[in-house]
This record gives sequence, C-alpha cells and structure tokens, in this order.
Amino acid sequence: MDETVAEYIRRTVLKIPRDEIKTMLQKWGFLSEAQLQTINFHQLKDNISQDVVQLCEENSADIKQAAVLDIIYNYIYPNKRVWSVYQMNKTGEETDFFDLTDFKKKIKRRLRSALKNVTVTFREYEDNAVWIRIAWGTPYTKPNQYKTSYVVYHSQTPYVFISASVLKSNLPLLCQALVVASNYHDIREMELRSHSLNSLKDIVFKRYSQNFQTYYPKPLQERDIAPETDLRIIQENKNEKERIERVNREIFGDGPQPKLEFAQYKLETMFKSDPKMDVLDKKEPFRCLVKFSSPHLLESLKSLAPAGMADAPLSPLLTCIPQKARNYFKIREKKGLFPGSFVSP
Amino acid sequence: DSQKTAFLLRKQWTLYSVTPLYRFSDAHLRDYARLLSAFIAAEKQKGLAVEIGVELGIKVAISSLPDLRGSDRDQAAILVQLSSRSPASPKNSEEKVIWSGWFCSVSGDDFSENVPEDFTCLPLFLANGAESYTSIVGSWFQKTFDCCFRRLAISPLNLSWMAAMWTGCKVDKNVSAMELVFSVPHLPQPLDISYAIHPEDAKALWDTVQKTPGEITQEEVDVFMDCLYSHFHRHFKIRLSATKLVKVSTAIASAHCDGIIKFLQSQYLTGVLMLLTELAISQIQ
Repeated sequence: MDETVAEYIRRTVLKIPRDEIKTMLQKWGFLSEAQLQTINFHQLKDNISQDVVQLCEENSADIKQAAVLDIIYNYIYPNKRVWSVYQMNKTGEETDFFDLTDFKKKIKRRLRSALKNVTVTFREYEDNAVWIRIAWGTPYTKPNQYKTSYVVYHSQTPYVFISASVLKSNLPLLCQALVVASNYHDIREMELRSHSLNSLKDIVFKRYSQNFQTYYPKPLQERDIAPETDLRIIQENKNEKERIERVNREIFGDGPQPKLEFAQYKLETMFKSDPKMDVLDKKEPFRCLVKFSSPHLLESLKSLAPAGMADAPLSPLLTCIPQKARNYFKIREKKGLFPGSFVSP
Repeated sequence: DSQKTAFLLRKQWTLYSVTPLYRFSDAHLRDYARLLSAFIAAEKQKGLAVEIGVELGIKVAISSLPDLRGSDRDQAAILVQLSSRSPASPKNSEEKVIWSGWFCSVSGDDFSENVPEDFTCLPLFLANGAESYTSIVGSWFQKTFDCCFRRLAISPLNLSWMAAMWTGCKVDKNVSAMELVFSVPHLPQPLDISYAIHPEDAKALWDTVQKTPGEITQEEVDVFMDCLYSHFHRHFKIRLSATKLVKVSTAIASAHCDGIIKFLQSQYLTGVLMLLTELAISQIQ
C-alpha cells in the first residue's frame, strides 16, 4: 500500500470522534466485520488509527477507497466546512432524464482532460443527492489529497452546494464540468454561504416554515404570553410586548429558523439626517459594510425586538434572507418616487 | 525618531494602570534588570514559570525611551524586554524577544505634580506577550516599588471618543475603514455586529460635526455617533445604542473594551498615549 495512502487513512481516522470510528468503518465497508472485531476501539485514537492502517495494508487499500472514507466523514460532519450555493439554468422547459452513470463519466472526463491528475470520487445518498469529492492536482503534480473540494448535487433540482477549499482557481473548471455533465446551460453563484449545509438546503428547497401570504389573511391565533412569574414585576407596556410577539411570529413563522452564521451588507445609500443637525449633506453615497454574526443568526435577529433592541417589524433587509436565499447583499438607494426605500440587486 | 518606536506599532498591547512607583530611579535600570532576572529564575525553580521548551535562561533588558513622553515634565518611558533562545536554535544564535512591557506617561503632569517626592509617575503600562510573564514582571514591580497594577478597561463612552477623534485625523493613503464592533451577548443566541464606514465618508461626516477647531466636545462626539446609529437604524431598524460597543478600529489605532490597543501610525502615537494616560490616571484616582 502506498505510504501516502496509509498516512491519509491514518489522518482521516484521527479526525473521527472515538465513539464513532467503528460505525464509520462499518459504513465504509472496506474492512470486513471479522477484521473490525480485532480492533480495540477503547484504546487511544492514535493506536486505533494505526490498527486500521495495518488492516488496510492487508487489504491493499488504494487512494480510491481512502477517498470514499473521506466522503463518508464529510457527509456525517458537513458543518466543518463552509458551503456556497450555486444555481444552474437551462433555456428549455424539458426536464431531461438524469443518467447518473453518464453524469459521473462526463465530470471525470472534463476534469481529467484539463488537469490530468485529479482524484474524483462519487457517492449517492437519499434525496437524489450525489456527493462528489475532488482532490486537485496539475498536469505535472499528483493530486493533493488534503486540498479537496466537495460538491453536493441534488439531481432533481438546479442547485449545487460547493465547498471549494483553498484552490479557488479550479472553481470555474468545476462549474463548467457540472453544467456540461448535468445538461444545463450555465451556473451562477448565489450570494448564500454557511457552515450548515442542511440549513442551506432548507432555504433553497423552502423546507423551513415560512410566513405564507394567503389571499384571505386570517388573524393569527392569539397566543398568551407567559405571565410574569415574579409578581413584583408589572408589565408597563403589555400591549406593546404582545404586538411585538405577534409581528415577530408573522414575519419569522412559528418553526425553527434555518441556521446561518453570518449576513453581510454592502451599503451604498445616501446619508440622511435631520436638517436641524446641520451635518453631512453629500450627494454621494455613504459607503458602509455591515456584518452580522452569530452561532444562529436568524434566531438571534428574531430575539432583538422582544429584547427591546430593535423595532418590530424588523427591517426587510434582514427578514428577507431565507426567502431571497442569500446572505450577502449590495444595497443601493432606489431612485424616484420613494426615496426612502432600498434596492438590492 | 520614528524608527526607535517602530517596534511598538502593529502589536497588540494589553493596558494596565499603575500607581506611582516608590523610590524608582532611571539611573539604576541595569540593577533592576539583574534583580528581575534573578526573580524570574527563582520563580522558574518554584515551578511557577511558563512555556515549556522556551527558556534556556531568560535575559532581561530594561531601558529608557526618552522620546515617549508629552513634555519634559513627564517621566521618560521605561521599556522592559524579556528575551530567550529556544532550545532548538544553535548556541550562538540571537535571542528573540518573547515579552515586552513598557511604562509611560504622556501629559500626565497634573497627576504627577500632586505626588510626593519619592514617587515616580508612570501611570500607563502596556504589555505584549504571554500573560504568565506579565504576571511575573508585574509581581516583581509591585513588590519592589510598592505599586499596584490594574487592568485598564475602556468604556463604550471612551471608545466613542476614540472613534470620533481618530476619524478626524488626517492620514495620507488611508485604506482602513472606520470600524465599530458591537456585541449583544445576553440574547438566547449572541450577536456581533461589525459596522465599517469608508474612511473618507466617515471623515466627511466628522468634519461637518466638529465646529470648533482644535477642540472636541462631548456634544460633538454624541452627534457623530447618533448620526452613525440613525443611519444604521434607517436600514436595519436595530438600535445600536442599546448594544455594547466593544471595539473601535481606524487607520490610527484600534482599541478594544477589554483594554487592548494597537498603534498603527507612528505620527499619532503620542496622541493616543496621551488619551490612554488620561484613562489610566482616572482609574487610579
């Protein structure tokens, strides 16, 4: 077995939490159940990984099998990477029949003809999801197994989730390969990025609870706010508090929010102030860059108004994130009739 | 001049206020270095020292920085540096500075005037390097000169002053945005907001707010910040004034509420130190 393969397998096993190693190796299926029985999974991870490498040696593992183990690891722990969302477009109305074998062949062919040295590995999962792992090389160097990109393509949708890693220069080639292999016309990057792959899917596949605008809007059922447990505290403005809760529910919906970690706004709007203040009155935009970050951004924003730090309703610039499926924005002033409103291209 | 202080730039300095030092003399710096060195060695023996694999004996150097002061009435700044050779590098290789700390006073004469003869006023202390060394050096100074070190926190009010003052400073080739960082920790999910303004636009705003040349009033700072807050509110409906301002960054310097500073422009070094000296003095009093 190649030394680099052995080292790669050793390092991949080390990444896995100790309690999960056995299950993941079973999913991998490269080592037999009998072989797995010989490993003591209670010893130090260093020793476990050495034992695994030993057994892989016996089975003459090559990089192809090692790559599969890596895909399995990333499928179970996708949140260690940052994912960007891409959308593909086609001109015609026809939904082509998706031929998985053809797809895989075309991807491999495109990447190999450009770079000669790439390791391309595929794995299918439920929901018509195809996972692709690519280790990038060049015409003159072997693929670097530690500089990998991952692609998740749901074949019945136009969406592709890509975790590119460091080698951004290979991105155009990858996009081109995807477009050709899936019979689409072109591909564009959506301004939507997060560590949480599932949340990104929730957003683009509209799997979160939205506030549906029905034609006959019905008043939402009044939900009682939990009464203050400390009788010494009197809600001075109970009505306002209830209004805020109601408005929040209308905007954010009742269910859990998709998990995003950041939102970024490039503002190129005019600075407006009270004319009495006699301050800046420029005809050019007041250029700002605003970044929000949180372990769970949308839940955090939802709690601002009830905490008294924001108005209710919160600005549509923030609440539109799931519907517009983006968390990077460029905001310009809307010219014309309504100078107070914003345009986001 | 700026060459000697260049090493102070672009490093993160943790701030402390220091009460006046009793019977300190800048004629005895060599002796102090020797004594501090012995103290550190003794602490190491006791097992209280620090990074594994670093010390083959720590060298201590204490020097005076006469240019770092506001006027002749200020005591010249005192620099303490710890250096060592890593066990991996060859015998004759140069030692690397592993920790630096300096005491200074810029325009602190109001304070030093009212202090008895035997005392030296250097109310501001800045440290860069491992916290454990700061602790050891601090203990030695406290024991030897009967003084007291305290971490210097910077309030949101003072951070706003820094934001306004530093935005107004003229810098050629300014490529750094004026950035304010706010934190909202007590939500179910904490939130951080970074609000960065193009430096030309921020300066244009400040220039229209500041009415009296050479002087800045609290009112002007308030107006400046209110303008920024209301521009933000117009877009996001969030009240930044209800959140905690934790960090301010400009081309001149950046300051964090935990009492951490970074100097970025040597021409404004003394100006920033003057402000920090003032903060240190008010913490002592």
